Amino acid sequence: MMEKPEKIRCALRINNEDYDLFISPHRTLLEVLRDELQLTGAKESCNEGACGTCTVLLDGLPVRSCLLLALEAQGREVTTIEGLAKDGKLHPVQEAFVEHHGIQCGFCSPGMILTAKALLDENPHPTEAEIRRAISGNVCRCTGYAKIVEAIKAASGKEI
Amino acid sequence: MALPPFQYVAPATVDETLALLSEYGERIKVLAGGTEITGRLKQRLVTPSHILSLKNVPGFSGIATKEGEVVIKAGTTLREVIASPLLKPAFSAIIQAAEAVAAPPIQNIATIGGNLLQNTRCLEYNQSELVRKASGLCFKTGGGTCLAVKGGNRCFSVYQGDLAPALMAFDATIKVEKKGSSRILTVCDLFSGKGESPHTLSADELVTEIHLPVPASPFASSYKKLRMRGSLDYPLASACVFLSVGDGVAREARIVLSACGPSPLSRTEAAGLLKGKALTQIDVQEVADAAARGVEAADNLVLPASYRRKMFRVLAARAIREALDDLTKAGS
Repeated sequence: MMEKPEKIRCALRINNEDYDLFISPHRTLLEVLRDELQLTGAKESCNEGACGTCTVLLDGLPVRSCLLLALEAQGREVTTIEGLAKDGKLHPVQEAFVEHHGIQCGFCSPGMILTAKALLDENPHPTEAEIRRAISGNVCRCTGYAKIVEAIKAASGKEI
Repeated sequence: MALPPFQYVAPATVDETLALLSEYGERIKVLAGGTEITGRLKQRLVTPSHILSLKNVPGFSGIATKEGEVVIKAGTTLREVIASPLLKPAFSAIIQAAEAVAAPPIQNIATIGGNLLQNTRCLEYNQSELVRKASGLCFKTGGGTCLAVKGGNRCFSVYQGDLAPALMAFDATIKVEKKGSSRILTVCDLFSGKGESPHTLSADELVTEIHLPVPASPFASSYKKLRMRGSLDYPLASACVFLSVGDGVAREARIVLSACGPSPLSRTEAAGLLKGKALTQIDVQEVADAAARGVEAADNLVLPASYRRKMFRVLAARAIREALDDLTKAGS
C-alpha cells in the first residue's frame, strides 16, 4: 500500500448544483456526499453494494454510491433524495410513500424512493412484477415490501 | 470500510491505457463499472498503487453486428446488454444471465468485461483483512493450505460470474489487447482452472471486445441459476444450454456448468448426447445426469456442496427443457 496520495480536483454536479471539490482519489461518492457536502440522505449500511441504502441516481439511473468513486461521477448528473422536493413540496413518489405507509424506520427510504422515481421516469405505468424487479436491489427490513409496492403503484396512478 | 489510498489515472485513449498497464503491471488495476473491484479494494484483497479508470476512453461500450458476429465492447453495461435489440430475444441465455447479475442498480453500471473478469470467491477468502489474518494464509492469499477443504491440496475458490457460462455456451471469443499487440481467445481459454489466479490474462492486457458468433441455423438457449434470494446473490450453481437445430434434429449443442469450481465447465460429453438427435427423442434427464456427473463442489459457499452438486443436474435439466420448448414454440 502506498502513502496517502495528494487530493485532486473533482467537479461534481449534484441536484442541479455544481460543486468544485478537492478530494483524495479513494473517496467514494457516498463519503463525499455525507462527509463533505452534508447530504446525509444517502445512508451507509452494508458498504459493499448488497443493500441499496446508499442509492443515488447517476444520469437518472439508480446506482450504489458506496461502490462508486466520487471521481467517477464527474461529468455525470447526480441526484440524491435531497434533490427531489421542489419549492418545499415533496415529489409525488415521496408523497405516495408517506400516504401509503411505505416508510417505517426510514433507513431504506431514500434509496427506495429514488429507485422508484427512476422506474416511473422510464416506465410510468409499471406492472407489479416490474416494480418488484426494479426495487429488488433495495433491502427493507421493516415493511415486508407490500406497502412500498403499494406506494409505487399509487404514484404511478394505479388503483391499489 | 474505507478504500485504501491509491493514485487515480483516467487515460483518454486505449493506447494510453495500454501504455499505463505495460508500465505499472501488477501495481495497477483497471476500474470499469467498479462494482467488483471496489469491494475487493475495501477488503484489501487487492492493494494496487494505481487505479486506472476507463471512463474517459471513447468507444469502449456499444453493441454492433459485424461479419456474422455480434460484437459487444467490453465496457458495455449489463443494462445495455439486456436492452439490446441485437441480442433480445435471440440470445436469450445472455439476457437471462445479465438479468441475473445482482440487481438492476448493479446492472446499470457493471460492465460485461468486468463480469467476465470477476475473481473467484470463497467464504474463507472474501472476508475482511482482520478475519483473514486471524484465519491464516490460504492458497489464494499466498499460503500453502486450503482453509475451506481440510487437506485440500489446491485452491477451491469458485468463479461466480453469470455471463461467462452463457458466453461459453455461445462459443464466444474475446479480443485482448496489450501494448503493441492483440489476440483473440475463446471465453473458455480465458479461464486457467486455478483458483489462485482464475484468468489467463497477464497484468498488461485489457479485454476490449466480446465476439458472439451468430449461429447459421435456428437456435435456442437458456441460463438457470441457483441462489438464496431472487436477486443480489451470486450463483451457487448454474447451468447454461445452447442448442441449434435443422430439420427437427439437434445440430450444435453446448452445456456449461458454473459456480462449481475456479472456472465454468463445458460438458462436451453430455452435449454429445444431444447432437444428431431428433428434438422429440431427447431424453432430458439422461443428458442432465451426464452433464452433472462428477462435477465437484466444495463447502465454501453459503449452501452445502452436497446440495449444490444435486442442483447442477436439476438446473441442467431445466435449461435443456426451456431451450427445447423455445425451439418447439418457434416451430423448429
